Amino acid sequence: MTPNIAIVRVQNPNWRGIRLWVPLFLLWIPLILLVVFVACLVGRVDALRAIAAFWALSCSLPGTDVRVSTDRNHVMVRIL
Amino acid sequence: MSEHRRQILEMLAAGKITADEAERLLAALEPDSGTNLHGSAGNGKDVDGPAPKSRAKYLRVLVEADESMTGIKGPTTVNVRVPMQLLRAGVRLASLIPKQAHDQLDQALSLHGVPVTLSQIKPENLEELIDHLEDLTVDVDGQDGNTRVKVFCE
Repeated sequence: MTPNIAIVRVQNPNWRGIRLWVPLFLLWIPLILLVVFVACLVGRVDALRAIAAFWALSCSLPGTDVRVSTDRNHVMVRIL
Repeated sequence: MSEHRRQILEMLAAGKITADEAERLLAALEPDSGTNLHGSAGNGKDVDGPAPKSRAKYLRVLVEADESMTGIKGPTTVNVRVPMQLLRAGVRLASLIPKQAHDQLDQALSLHGVPVTLSQIKPENLEELIDHLEDLTVDVDGQDGNTRVKVFCE
């Protein structure tokens, strides 16, 4: 399943924290096409293989969770 | 009827073994019976046997470092959860690297102390690697207790 939403949360005591819900389903198709186009142009890679590899990569992204916390700052990125 | 099965039945008929012993021997002859004597083998209801090992789905990396390591005031923690599927996809992505670039990459990696030949990393090797990775746990504690790194699968 391709990733649908990325949640980005940034908390800082000095300013109002942000919580973004990024709709990846709107982004990943043009992004993959762009990356594949660039890869084929620069690296002379077979387009079908490039599409298959990036498709597999994007489908494996859901479940990724990255959290970084310092004394005052908290950043969280989750891909659903 | 196999030869072994016939011998067991003949021993039972001759009174050399009891019915229980015959049942045990016949069960042992079954290819997927294991040591279960009551016909529950293979149906997932055998509670006495070891539970099947569940496959790890995520690779977790936890890092805790204090001020002396990071230069940032207060403790810093990094908590990363990466799906195992992403590792497989990464290898497929690596297969897109043109062959002419493999030598340069191998040289650069070996210069940095990573003696890896990229062309030898294949999806079938990766499956084996991931299977072994599931048993991996790495715990690193800094000398002064100021840094802790933990890598494991869950």
